[in-house]
Amino acid sequence: MRPVKDLVQTVCTVLCKTLTPAQAEEILAVTQPRAIPSGNIVFREGEEGSGLFLLLKGSVEVVKQGPNSIAQQLATVEAPSVLGEMSLVSERRHSATVRATRDCEFQVLAREDFLRLLERDNLAAHKLVGAIAEVLARRLRRMNEMAMELLSRADAPPPMEELAAFKQKLFSEWSF
Amino acid sequence: MAGFEEVNYYFRRAARVMDLSPHVERMLITPFREVKVDVSISLDSGELGTFIGYRVQHDRSRGPMKGGLRYHPTVDMDEALGLASLMTWKTAVVNLPYGGAKGGIAVDPARISERELERLTRRFVQQIHDLIGPQTDIPAPDMGTNAQVMAWIMDEYSKIHGFSPAVVTGKPVDLFGSRGREEATGRGVLFAMEEFLKDVGGGEIRGKRCAIQGFGNVGSWTARFLHEAGAKVVAVSDHRGGITNPEGLDVPKLVEHARRTRTVAGFPGVDSISNAELLVSDVDVLIPAALGGVITKENARDVRARYLVEAANAPTTPEADEILTERGIPILPDIYANAGGVTVSYFEWTQNIQQFTWEEAKIVGELRRYMSEAYATLSRVARERRVPLRTAAFIVAIGRVGRATVLRGL
Repeated sequence: MRPVKDLVQTVCTVLCKTLTPAQAEEILAVTQPRAIPSGNIVFREGEEGSGLFLLLKGSVEVVKQGPNSIAQQLATVEAPSVLGEMSLVSERRHSATVRATRDCEFQVLAREDFLRLLERDNLAAHKLVGAIAEVLARRLRRMNEMAMELLSRADAPPPMEELAAFKQKLFSEWSF
Repeated sequence: MAGFEEVNYYFRRAARVMDLSPHVERMLITPFREVKVDVSISLDSGELGTFIGYRVQHDRSRGPMKGGLRYHPTVDMDEALGLASLMTWKTAVVNLPYGGAKGGIAVDPARISERELERLTRRFVQQIHDLIGPQTDIPAPDMGTNAQVMAWIMDEYSKIHGFSPAVVTGKPVDLFGSRGREEATGRGVLFAMEEFLKDVGGGEIRGKRCAIQGFGNVGSWTARFLHEAGAKVVAVSDHRGGITNPEGLDVPKLVEHARRTRTVAGFPGVDSISNAELLVSDVDVLIPAALGGVITKENARDVRARYLVEAANAPTTPEADEILTERGIPILPDIYANAGGVTVSYFEWTQNIQQFTWEEAKIVGELRRYMSEAYATLSRVARERRVPLRTAAFIVAIGRVGRATVLRGL
């Protein structure tokens, strides 16, 4: 296990800049460490949300099932970062699958513990909400860009190969 | 009626079988040109009458575009678009060197005088004369128009462009019209039905009990030809009501009665029947020959005919088509069944260009040849690909239009 001081440092500088070291310690006090070896699943799409995952070491990929049941990689995430932020604030199941692409170390903040801190009007928990909102905004912006790119691709002029394939088909399979 | 989406439903069904890409599908569906014009005339009362005229030119890859001009209050852009694309597929199915077009004026011709009708027609030609022509777009009669209207079109167009009888077909026989044009659609229905019944195990026309909805040009000529061929026309109807006689109607007398009274209703010695009853009457062959959209999901399960022959355009809605197909009732689709009209229009255009007239026997013989050759292809594709005749017809049409399109290139 890395020293607690390092952890506090990471939480303050990377995850939530507004936390004082003391507040970071308050949050960390209710988290559990979890190590996931490379290649293993951190959590699965559709599973009950288990809380916020602070990724302290390693890297993961975020994967989502498409409508035709082909899994698409949405993103890769390097430490330090957070995962599971959607299920922390919305009480919904995990919206995507996360798989460790290198050995990973997490501190997991369970939803119940987080809500308990909020109920007690814990300032650190409120600051964390603000930080999560920032992460969500950043990821939403990225999704918007991806959506725009997909839309512009659907409107693109027909590839000329399609016409050539059509011609080929009309003079072989569909000639009568 | 035959809206654009309805025609495209059947087009897409064939496109799926052929596994066309969405871009190619869109390219084939998109019309070449849509035109909407103001047609204003002075009415007999001295007032100003303003009407809207339409012409949609759908596809010209296989030749000059061809399609009817309709004078009816419900004419609008969507209907013209649907019928124009239907003409593209229809001319391709019978392999005529034409593309598809359609148009008309939103007007009730029964509510204006003959002189107003002439002024309206000439004004419309002035508005669209640079879009039509013997080698670009050749109108023909449709609902609410006739040989006289075509004569006015030819005359008005010729004033601007010089002598041009081939700019329009369905003209009077005394003014560059063709023998056999008036009865062409009905005769084509007979030839189409002969091939169809033979092919699907129905045997010959003789003795078949038929019900015909509509007794206008198409319905009445179909009745006459079926009667001559030995079929029993047991029920007919028009907008005023219907008549039935299980032993078979005396068609020549009925035609005379309808000519005199302008309706089949009131024909002596027969029972009355409603239009709705006619569609579900117990016959061998049901022939809708008037309006579109008469066989729907509401009555398709009650149809008792063993075969359906679509002499009208789009008489069967897509839902009804599926119900009938599921019930194993073979359908002879409109884009083939009523193609006799445009086929003889093609002969008329050919004669105008050759400045030569054909004998009636040649017209009838050539019409029979075009109808049987088209059926042979349809039926082969339907069997080989295991699809209904309508889908086969669209596959044949898409193949021919598609080949012309890709050979020309963009």
